[in-house]
Order: sequence, then structure tokens, then C-alpha cells
Amino acid sequence: MLFPLESTLKADAKTVAASGEYDIVIVGSGISGAIIAKQAAEAGKRVLMLEAGTGANITLAGYDDLLTTFYSAVSKDNQSPFPLNANAAMPRSPQLRKLQAGETDSSTYIVQSGPYVSDTTYTRIFGGTTMHWEAKTPRMLRSDFKTRSIFGQGLDWPLSFEEIEEDYRLAEQEIGVSANVEDQQYLGQTFPGDYVFPMRGLPLSYLDQQVNKGIEGTSVELCGKTYPLKVRPYPQGRNSIPNPAYDGGKGYRPIGAVDTHQVEEGGRCQGNTNCVPLCPVQARYHSGKTLAKAFAVNAKAGERLVELLSQAVASKVNIDPDNGKVRSLEVKVYKDPASPAHEAITVRGKVFVFAAGAIETARLMLASGLRSTSGLVGRNLMDHAYLLNWALMPQICGTMRGTSSTGGIVDLRDGPFRERQAAFAIDIHNDGWGWATGAPTSDLLELVDDRNLHGADLRRGVVDRVSRQLLLAFMLEVMPDESNRITVDPQYTDALGNMRPILSFTVPEYTMKGAAYGRRFARTVFARLGAQDHTHYDPGDFGYVAYEGQGYAIRGGNHLAGTHIMGTTRTNSVVDKNQRSWDHENLYLVGGGSMPTIGTANVTLTLAAMCFRSSRDILKYLH
Amino acid sequence: MYSYSIRTLDELKEFLHRAMQLEHATIPPYLTALYSIKPGVNQDATQVLRVIVVEEMLHLTIAANILNAIGGTPDLTRPDFAASYPASLPDGETDFKVSIQAFSREALATFLKIERPAQRPKHLAGKGLIQRKTPANTTALGSHPRHEDLHFYSIGEFYSAIAEGIEYLEAEAYRQGTTIFTGDRSRQITPEYYYSGGGTLFPVTDWKSALEAIALIIEQGEGDGGDIYDNDEHELAHYYRFEELVKGRYYQKGDQPGHPTGPQLQVDWEGAYPIKPNLKVAEIPEGSELREAATAFNARYGEFLQLLTRAYNGQPSLLLEAVPIMFEFRNTILELIRNPLPNHPGMNGSPTYEIPGSTKQAAPTRQSEVIA
Repeated sequence: MLFPLESTLKADAKTVAASGEYDIVIVGSGISGAIIAKQAAEAGKRVLMLEAGTGANITLAGYDDLLTTFYSAVSKDNQSPFPLNANAAMPRSPQLRKLQAGETDSSTYIVQSGPYVSDTTYTRIFGGTTMHWEAKTPRMLRSDFKTRSIFGQGLDWPLSFEEIEEDYRLAEQEIGVSANVEDQQYLGQTFPGDYVFPMRGLPLSYLDQQVNKGIEGTSVELCGKTYPLKVRPYPQGRNSIPNPAYDGGKGYRPIGAVDTHQVEEGGRCQGNTNCVPLCPVQARYHSGKTLAKAFAVNAKAGERLVELLSQAVASKVNIDPDNGKVRSLEVKVYKDPASPAHEAITVRGKVFVFAAGAIETARLMLASGLRSTSGLVGRNLMDHAYLLNWALMPQICGTMRGTSSTGGIVDLRDGPFRERQAAFAIDIHNDGWGWATGAPTSDLLELVDDRNLHGADLRRGVVDRVSRQLLLAFMLEVMPDESNRITVDPQYTDALGNMRPILSFTVPEYTMKGAAYGRRFARTVFARLGAQDHTHYDPGDFGYVAYEGQGYAIRGGNHLAGTHIMGTTRTNSVVDKNQRSWDHENLYLVGGGSMPTIGTANVTLTLAAMCFRSSRDILKYLH
Repeated sequence: MYSYSIRTLDELKEFLHRAMQLEHATIPPYLTALYSIKPGVNQDATQVLRVIVVEEMLHLTIAANILNAIGGTPDLTRPDFAASYPASLPDGETDFKVSIQAFSREALATFLKIERPAQRPKHLAGKGLIQRKTPANTTALGSHPRHEDLHFYSIGEFYSAIAEGIEYLEAEAYRQGTTIFTGDRSRQITPEYYYSGGGTLFPVTDWKSALEAIALIIEQGEGDGGDIYDNDEHELAHYYRFEELVKGRYYQKGDQPGHPTGPQLQVDWEGAYPIKPNLKVAEIPEGSELREAATAFNARYGEFLQLLTRAYNGQPSLLLEAVPIMFEFRNTILELIRNPLPNHPGMNGSPTYEIPGSTKQAAPTRQSEVIA
């Protein structure tokens, strides 16, 4: 997919500041901002998109530079491809440490105020967190939208599944989801009529199949209900084989790599296992693919409807005291990531859309003194809690082949047990123990340093160790809690003088109960597979949480949500069901932050669907 | 109509077999040049070569679709299918040689000739095919199926002959109340099997789709009648992509042929492994690992052509199995290219693409020995 060349010319800060009023000013070039920009441009609206990162990865050469950085990085964490940029800093998990009681650690970008230290990350770069996401795209379940009514837990959405279903289909089209309807019809999920996903489902990996062989036909009992066990494929935001039956037989044209000249690259998923942090062939969706379509409107319209201003960090929101509308946005535009030198400009628009992710959007609001009538800005912070369980399979399972995760055990995403404990979805990780132990590098170091292996013995040793690794990652539901929150404090600022986010979080008991059950569940599965459990949680781990006499290392899921939840009134929520601010009629706070609950679905598909809804509302508002 | 006009269905089938041979013959040189590039350099060249080689695979498949549409039987295992390198291609009144060689200025000069748009000059208009002798051991690509010594002026002219043949034969059939498009539709390779940003794969079922298919092959290669972009997708033609590398600058919308005005690109002409051009297995010492690898590659390539043949003969889903084999080829080609060639200081190995069972292969060396 081609980015028209002119779109990559950085919009000039002075021109932007002088160019009067845009129809829509969008903060953030992730999937939320990209969808709204595209929908608005196609409707002929003038859009300015502000991106805090350098925007260098808009070209394929820039994208490939990120890959080179990743390949040469010692730590292969989620943020390893993305160069340090103090002007648009982002959380980097390897820097974390455990907190003492009452301690605050301000040595990392997110100030960790505890008691739980979260290694959650988001990516402040062109494309946002879709530049590092794993691209699993399950829909939320019907019950996930009303957990308060059904289970007495969390909050009900102001939207039902039925109201969002059509937008789910739009999001699946935009992302280009690969899945088979028949694989996704579990737990009462239904799809209308002759619906098919844009592309056919990716096959289960050999590892998935081996796990399935060991558990299919068995079941577990929980709260008096029986749950059959089976490995099911995940829907994926990555290119597979387009389904000719899509869109009433019109088929689907996948989108490959984007670039400023025609490389036509970006094949189908090739099973490279480094999907996270970066797909080497752009088979995985990132929001640049949607933005390329938005920029393509410029060429068709013969004028620049969409402009991108990179290296532009939104710093303060100015409100008109007479009517509560957003009057303008103060933006710091830096010249060089290595220097804090910047110029401050003021940007005006009819509508403002903050799409900077749950933490940065809340940070911007709070830094501008906008806590909202409900006082809920920054509160109800959610992220899936991950509990990792790892074991060695009795037989070679071909671990390290295939997409990061192709299948999982997902039948405990719903059930009456949710009155008492968190639901979970389990990912089977085709990249082995990497997340838990740093494999395969850690295995290699051990075989060389501790066992002095070399040559053929070393090769065999690595194969024997790595290709039997099984990692079950339990993605646990986390319900909204007002005390889990993002705040700001003038004593903690970044290189540009913007206030940094402060994170206060306690893993809810509801979630820990699910985690404790999950640990037992993993042992049961390992026993049925004849796999040797190697799981251990170090009390010195930054994410160590004690619960009922046992300790668990809880990991962040990077599924950030809840900091500006949607609801039915200005007193119980920050935004309405179209993600429009109750207090400021021309302001939309979009993305995961609007979600009142997250169930056991990775958040991107749902927040993408919500942005199609918001786009319609914004266009209506502008007319 | 010129003297080389296609007048029978069998003749058309032979021409389409030749078309498949021609499209396939571009793949080994492009692929070898692509994989000869050293890691970390020539990023732009790598991308340009990659797009083009993938589109040549599309062209091969489209040619198979046309052949299937008229009831033919694609056969990539026929002894006359795989080219022997250097192979000859028509370039106006003379031929030029297409070699297996490393990415270099010389390689690019050849690639430009392969894709060059060529119009007959006035003094040759309507004069029929050009006669010249093809040596017995040389594959004459783009020649007349029945007369290897009769050459088209250009590849474009070769395809025009096919297009005219299709129109002529279909008009004939129409007058008799039939059609030449009698092929089994289930043998067509459909879009889900091809995916690149450039071009689409579509089933060929009638003369309209057949002519569209031929237009796509021509336009992706040499552009649309002097326009650097093709007709439908505004995609830059192969010729101009190669020219971008030679000129060190990208084309952009509105540019005139030969004058790209887009951003500059870097080409490191030394950034490729020094492989021995047109290497033959016989030149690699017996018993060496390199010889073993080269022989194994050729055998595997032969199996690959058998697999494609089955895929083009009613089992399209076999193309999915071809994908991992292309990864296997990449790995083996890199091994061959990155290792020194024994007894040739400063030179590296290379895949030889001597496919077992091909008639033009292997013989030359022995033959020349006999003569000597």
C-alpha cells in the first residue's frame, strides 16, 4: 500500500499553527486516530493528526531500521525496536524493580506508585501500539457488556453487544482479520447470516495440535459446571488467505507493507515468531495501513485533507470557560529527539479527538486540570493481568515455529463462576518460554556457560530444550476499580516539561482468585499432557503478588483501558456511548480508556469498533 | 497478419507453453541477484528485485491460467521447459544473453533489456520474424515454437502474437457457434493464491479475461504504451523500477520515462557476493560440499517444478506447499552464494539451475569435450 509521497513531508509547525481551524484535530496515530482520520477524510473533512514520535517509520526503510534495532538488541522486549526518545518517552519493562511498602519509583517514565508494579507498555511512535501488538482480535462476549447485571461485578456498558456488532464487522474489515466463523462460535458467540471473516483462519501450530491431543475430550468442573477442554484458534489481525466468499462474494484484498514508493511487500503471515514486537514483513496489521488509505484521499480530492505533524507532543488543553468547549491545544514541537529544544504552537479545530492511549490521554487531561464532572479521569485503570505457567512437553513440539500465538484454551472466558472470580483466556505461546524466562537466549547461555556445550552437542541441546517448551499465558479479567488510577504531579516531568503519568494499582482480589484457580488449572493441564512443570515465581519479582499464602508473578497485558470510561450520565462516566466528553461537547476521548470493562478479549478490536461509531457521531456533529 | 500468425489451437497452446517458459526463465536470474546482495546493504535494490520476482511468478501463473482456459495442459517438467543459462532473448534485430549472476551493473543492464519496451522501427514494420541461428545448446526464449531460429522483435511482440491468435481463433470458433475457452474452470488458479500489492491473479474464462491477462503481463513488465505506470493500478512497470536503481532515484507521479524526480536511493554496486556467472555443477570439484549442495538444489528445483505442474493441473491448493519450498530455496541459495568456489580464488558458488531431465542441460560440456 502506497503512502503518497507528499504525505511524508512533515507538516510544518508554523503552517499548522497559522492555518486557522481544522475540522478535526487528532492526537495520536494509533488505530483509534487512524480510523477516525480515514473516516473523516473520506467525508471531505480537514484533519490534522499530531504524533509525538519522529514518524521515521512511515517509510519502509524507517520500518526496517526498527527491525534492525530489534535484531541487534540484547533484550527482546516489546519496546526493543523503538529508539529512546526522551521527548516522547514510553515505558520499558526491563527497567522495573520491586517496590518497598509505601515507596514510589520515579526512575522510569511511568512513575510507579504501587503497591503493584506494572510492566504494562504502550508505544509512542507513528502507528502507536499497533507497531508492537500481537494482533489477536477476539470479540468481547455478550455477557462482557453487562457484568454488573449478570455477575454483580464491574460495570455495565451503555452499549449492548447488539449495538456494537456491526462496528465489529467494520473493524474486522479494517484490520483484515483472519479467522473461520465455525472456530469462533463457542460460548454462544453468533455471527449474522452468511458472514465470513475477510481472510481464512490461520492454522493451529504443531504445538497447539500436540496440546490439543493431550486435553481434547477432557474437562474441568468449576462452580458446579463442566467445561470441556479444547485448543481453539484465535482470530488474528494478520494476512492469511483472503476468503473469496467475503462481502457477498466480492472477496477481500489484503493490505501489505506501506511505503512511500511501490514495494508491494507485506506478504501473508510467514510464521516468523517475532510478531511481537515487530512483524518483519508487515503481514501483521498496523495503523499505518489505515492511514495510507486516509492519505490516499488527499490525492483523490486534489487537496491536502489529512496532514500529519510528527514530533508534536500535545501538552495542554485550553477550554472556553463560557461554553466548556475545547478552544485550542498547546503543542510542543521538538526538532530532534536528542534535544529538548522545542517550539510551542497552538492548534485550533472544530472537534478534538484524543486518541493517545488510555494512559497518555488521561495524562493530557489531568495535566490540563480537567478531571471531569465525575472526577473519573484517570480512574478505573484496567489492564489484563497475565499469569505465566511454563513446562517441558514430553515430546518435541516444534516450539519457536509459527506466529506468536495461534491457539488457546478459551472455554473459561465465561460462566457463572464470574460471580466469584475472574474469567480467563489462555494463550499457547509458540515462542516458548521467552516471555517467562527470556528463552531461547537464556537456554543458550546456560548450555554454553554452565554446561560447556559447543558444536553439534550445543545444537542438539538447544533443540532438545527449546522445541519442547510450552508456555500457557493466562489472560485474566480485571474489573474497574476507582482506586486503580493514573495521576500527575508537577514534581515528575519529562524532557519537554510535560507531567509524566503516575500509576497506582492493586491487582483486585477478584483477579487474584482467578489467578490462583488458573495456577491449579495449569497444573491439571500439564499433568494431562505429561509435561514437566517448570513454573516458579520469584518473591523478588517486581510483579510478585501474594494471595492466600501463595505468591504469583503477575505481568501486565498492555491492554490498557478504563481511564475515561463511558457511561449513561456525566456523573457516572467521562464520555457518552459515542466517546464524546460529557463536559466538553467538541471533545472525544477515544480508545481503550472508554471501555467500562475488558472481559477476556484483547482490547484492540473492540476499541477499533467503537471508533467507527465515534466517527459517525463526529461527522454528525460537524454537519 | 504477418507470416508468424497463430492459426491453430495447438499452435496457440505451444505459444502459451513458450510464454510460461519465458516467464519462468526470468525468475532464476532475478532470484540469484536478489539473494546475492550482502546483508545490511542495498535495501532499496532488495525491495525492487523482490517485487519484480514475485510478479514474474504471477505472470507464470497467469500464462498457465490462459493455457488451462483453452483446454491445454501446463507442463513445467517438459524437457524443453527449464532454460539453460546463459539463455538468449530477442532484443530487436539481435539477441542478448540472460545470465545467472550477482547483483551488479551488468546484471541490471540485462534486466533492463528483459523488460525494455520495444517497437519495431519503420523499416522492419510488417516484415515478419527475424531469422538468426540459435546454437544447439542455447535456450532461445521468445522464439517461434516450431522454428527456434525465427525470433520475435521483442517480448511485447511475442505476446501480441498470442493476443492476436486468441482473437483470431475465438472469432473463428464463434462463427461455428463454439469457443476455444473449453477448459475446466476448476483448473484456474484464483486470487487467494497470489498476494502482493502489485497486480491480481484472476481466472481466465473467455477472450476478454485472456486479453486482460496478457495486458497485465505486458504492462507490469514494460509499462502501458510509453507510460511508466500500468493502466489499472498505477503501478510502476518493471523496466522503470530497474531504471530507478541505475539512476539512483525513485520515480514519482507525473515523471517522464528516463527522468525520475523522486527521492534519491542508495545503491552499493560492491554490496553483493562475487559469484561465478553461469556456474555449472561440472565446474565444482567432485566430492565438495558445495557440489553436493548445488546438486541437491537442482534436484529439489526439479521436484518443485513437478509440484507446480500438479498445482496447475487441477490441484491449486498445492501452491500452499510451494511456499515453504521457496523459503528452503532462499536458505540453500544463500549457502551456495556465501561460500567460496574451490579452485576459483575470489569467487563464490551459485545455484546452477541445471534441472535434471532438461534437454538443453548438461549436454553442452560433454559435447564440447567431444568436439575438442
